[in-house]
Amino acid sequence: MTVLIGDPVLEELRGILGPEHVLTGKADRLNRARVPAPFPVHRWAERMPDLVVLPASTEEVAEVLRLADALRIPVVPRDGGTGLTDGAVPLRGGIVVDVKRINQIKEIDLGNRTCTVGVGINALKLNEVLARHGLIYPDDPASYPCSLVGGRIGTSGWSLIGSRYGHTRDLVLSFDHVLPGGRVIHVGDGIGRKITKSSSGYQLKHLFMGHQGTLGIATEATLKLFPKPEAEFSPFWAFEDYDSAYRAVGALARAGVATFAGAVLFDEWKVDYLRRDDEAYIPQPSSVKALVCAALYGYEDEVRAGGRRLLRIARSLGARYLGDEISEGDWAARHDRYATPLHGRTKSGQVVPMSWHCEDASINYTRLPAVRLAWHEIAARLRRESDVFDDWGMFAYTNGATGADYLTEIDIGIWEQRLDDTAWAAWVRAKRDLAAVTLEHGGSISACHGSCREGEVDLVPEELGGGYDVMLAVKRAIDPNNIMNPGKYLLDQAYAEEP
Amino acid sequence: MTYRHQEEMSPPPARRVTDVAITRFEHVYEVEPALMTEHVTQQSFPNWDTLRLVRSRADHLAWMHRHFAGKVISGEELLHDLDE
Repeated sequence: MTVLIGDPVLEELRGILGPEHVLTGKADRLNRARVPAPFPVHRWAERMPDLVVLPASTEEVAEVLRLADALRIPVVPRDGGTGLTDGAVPLRGGIVVDVKRINQIKEIDLGNRTCTVGVGINALKLNEVLARHGLIYPDDPASYPCSLVGGRIGTSGWSLIGSRYGHTRDLVLSFDHVLPGGRVIHVGDGIGRKITKSSSGYQLKHLFMGHQGTLGIATEATLKLFPKPEAEFSPFWAFEDYDSAYRAVGALARAGVATFAGAVLFDEWKVDYLRRDDEAYIPQPSSVKALVCAALYGYEDEVRAGGRRLLRIARSLGARYLGDEISEGDWAARHDRYATPLHGRTKSGQVVPMSWHCEDASINYTRLPAVRLAWHEIAARLRRESDVFDDWGMFAYTNGATGADYLTEIDIGIWEQRLDDTAWAAWVRAKRDLAAVTLEHGGSISACHGSCREGEVDLVPEELGGGYDVMLAVKRAIDPNNIMNPGKYLLDQAYAEEP
Repeated sequence: MTYRHQEEMSPPPARRVTDVAITRFEHVYEVEPALMTEHVTQQSFPNWDTLRLVRSRADHLAWMHRHFAGKVISGEELLHDLDE
């Protein structure tokens, strides 16, 4: 669909939103055509929306969707645009609904420890206000300073300190959601805005989280709040081999320390990468082959007691504490990984500008070593094929407090300016292979971003099995005209004619 | 900051740290300049600006700690407790 200036659709949208909130300029549209995940930039034009709208309320979003549904115009919701699986990238043109104006704090309920906000607000800005009340909303992605609450709902995001406080699905209690036809519903546990547990009816909250904009648009959310931690402890340890570090991260995660907020394992490839560019690790002796860190939050006496216990465990497993400066600096940087300037190396060692691909499977602890080797083989194959790719190593982050599974991340640098069609095809093949390894080991393709990028998405029906057929039926029932983010998650299949 | 422009544009001599990194200021590392000659070339920075960037980064990280918690517990202090 192409909307031309002067088109009656434009006039209708201007009538709904005001002329200044309907954007048709090339820069406005180009800036909302991509996300940080590397892609072939020579094909940028294929992702351009026809126009952008900036609604200010649930009612305005509903009116836009009502109009789009009547005219069968594709709609793509966009929040911070920080997602890494192309959820906010239009594949069929149409209207991008940018929710950044819906960013008010509507209520802070100190008695029930909740707040209600427009989904265009960012957690960092929200927490600056909550801190005045001694509270925090602890949803902490790597994009913490720039992602928005609505995007966290649309992706059902993962939080760095989720082992202590839960992830987005646990922290968002309920929200207003605009269905594709413009009807507004409220979803949560039961009907309540501030209810944390209900068994009334189907549990719709999870259905309307993580759908990548294919089932409508969240507009106003009620969030669970916690006391702002009195103290933080984030020890980093070095190990002489991966196996020792692997055993240590498992033991730390299984220790059952109440203030434990997460642990991270760095493999040998990651340490090699950090030795090239990271002040903390350049001077480390060559005997350092793997790293582990942990984080604890809570009242000072609890954190001190838990911290001593974790230090004892790590020391008994061969760890060397890296010191306060590295521990504190590296942990603080983890809240803001989008601010890190990135560059990779050609095979000859020359520095090149690269963008960051971050694979984010959920893998059980006992499968981490095998997945790590299989993934690095795939990365090595890419590297042999082209200087466009660089293996930046792997992290494994605890998903929860019991240490069952980990967000397993291989970071691959991609030289976007040189990513031609041949290299892109090699990349899509590699994405498919990375996802296949995940499924072979009983994992899930994504712990955080979602799994609707080219390559990985081909294996989603395999991962979900019969559940994928239910997903198709749900999509068809809720969005009969396929206006919401068409082309994502292979959901066009929901509209195929019966043979 | 020094008075003359030329002095600020003359960094201290480099000391090699590893095959791929050098250092000119304490705790500040640079990519080995020979590796930045083809696709990404090095920029000339006044010394004060290099140090300002490093300090700004430290300020940012300290701010991030304050944002998430009232106090940061020292691991070295806890280790000392364990050793006693």
